[in-house]
Amino acid sequence: MNGLADRQAAFLRAILDEAEPLPAGWGNAQAMGMKVYRGNYRSAIMGALGETFERTAVYLGDKPFAQACINHAIAHPPSGWTIDAVGAGFGATCAALFPGNPEVAELAWLEWTMLGLATAPDNVPLNVESFSQTVADFGEDDWAAMRLALQPRADARLVWHDLEALWRALGKDRVERPELRLATPQCCLVWREGERPTFTLVEADHAGAFALMQGGASYGEMIELLIGNDPEPSSETVQAAAMCAGAILGRWLKEGIVVQVNP
Amino acid sequence: MRARYEPVAPFGGFGLGLRRPHYDDFIAGADPRNVPVDFVEVISENYMIQGGRQLRILEQVRERLPVIIHGVSMSIGSADGLDVDYLAKLKQLEQRIEPLWVSDHLCWTRTSAHSSHDLLPLPLTQEALEVVCANIDHAQNVLGRPMLLENPSSYLTFPEDEMSEWQFLTEMTRATGCYLLLDVNNIYVSASNHGFAAEDYLAGLPLDRVRQIHLAGHDPATADRDIIIDTHDRPVIDPVWDLYARAMSMLPQPVATMIERDENIPPLPELLGELDRARTIAAGAPVAA
Repeated sequence: MNGLADRQAAFLRAILDEAEPLPAGWGNAQAMGMKVYRGNYRSAIMGALGETFERTAVYLGDKPFAQACINHAIAHPPSGWTIDAVGAGFGATCAALFPGNPEVAELAWLEWTMLGLATAPDNVPLNVESFSQTVADFGEDDWAAMRLALQPRADARLVWHDLEALWRALGKDRVERPELRLATPQCCLVWREGERPTFTLVEADHAGAFALMQGGASYGEMIELLIGNDPEPSSETVQAAAMCAGAILGRWLKEGIVVQVNP
Repeated sequence: MRARYEPVAPFGGFGLGLRRPHYDDFIAGADPRNVPVDFVEVISENYMIQGGRQLRILEQVRERLPVIIHGVSMSIGSADGLDVDYLAKLKQLEQRIEPLWVSDHLCWTRTSAHSSHDLLPLPLTQEALEVVCANIDHAQNVLGRPMLLENPSSYLTFPEDEMSEWQFLTEMTRATGCYLLLDVNNIYVSASNHGFAAEDYLAGLPLDRVRQIHLAGHDPATADRDIIIDTHDRPVIDPVWDLYARAMSMLPQPVATMIERDENIPPLPELLGELDRARTIAAGAPVAA
């Protein structure tokens, strides 16, 4: 450490934590200036979170959202060079702050995932025709070993609330609260359609299958996942799982989420 | 080792920041000069990304106009040194866009642990000058070209200051071969906040190193706050226009002049009106912009 490094560390501590004493030797003029820098920091963080989590902010209302931003900034002071990164983990912050409203964390996760997709590498999706040509000569083993490259930063997770209805309602800037709780959890699939991030709710089976395939697993392993924890599955069970896998793959192809076979 | 680079040639012209509300204006129609500007400036960090709409639009605009990339996060004054990941991504953008030049601010924004995402002031000391020069050398080595550094607006000075800001900038350009982006509004803001004469600041700079000028609006002091804040959220005020005229009368070479607006962004015609005012002032200067 040199003198400047120490002084910069003290300066930044004083910005991040208003209870932190000001550096030694500072007078009233420096204290007034520090007030401006503290205000700038708060505005920057609130502005970035407000832009990323636009619908979460509308849903929560100004005061609770501001409180969530402050809590998040205290727990996770920014460290990256891009201010967009300040939104990382905001979903978890919301989950901790609003345990009675788990839909808030689901909505924040969705907005965060869509932000990432907006700047993800461009790609050309594999359409159904191209896919069919690629697998035309596949035997059973080829299918079992097949791996897929899915859109970078596309994501899927189980949700317990109707995010489609919530998204529509908030987009119209209405304060109405649609019936949110789903009868059974569904998978929220998030991807990019051209340059536009989008999402939909699909059957819950997609969530585990997506995570597995995006992690580099084979199509055969995806079918095993869909069979479940049955050590000796019946042929009907295996067939049902294979059909389910086919339906999932068909949906991903239709939405343009599959980019390449056996990358 | 300090490398030598191709000098940054003067570019006289008038431009605007490329901001999201104006994307469609800049790429509309077949006329590449659909918007009557000579260049655009973009915030580097907004385009240090892998894909998507905003990068595609920047590439389309680049086909029509020269582009300047202007950063806010290099943290050239960080005692902890520069972020190599940041530099690598900036270099990628520089290669993709082939800008007129690359600029950032004389400030620091982060330590190795945290970032303020604000342009924080440096003590004007020999130690800070050495840190800044080493970091500029590092950045210029990665970029393979000289940078422009912008004078910041600041809200406090340090008891340990050993020189004026213009002396600091002069030594910095001499030691590193970098150039200057002169923000006239920042001179006005800092002069008002710290009680020096803006004319002394201009007279003390190596004006032959200036390649660009920024003009912007600011939030004036209030009864509760005796500090002017650089906000880029409103039109340029008359005293800043006067200072711009003074700067233009002193510069020995053409420079690129730009209106900066980052908040309360108005429709394009309003900004173009301000740019016309800059053109009129510059036309009366000894060396036309």
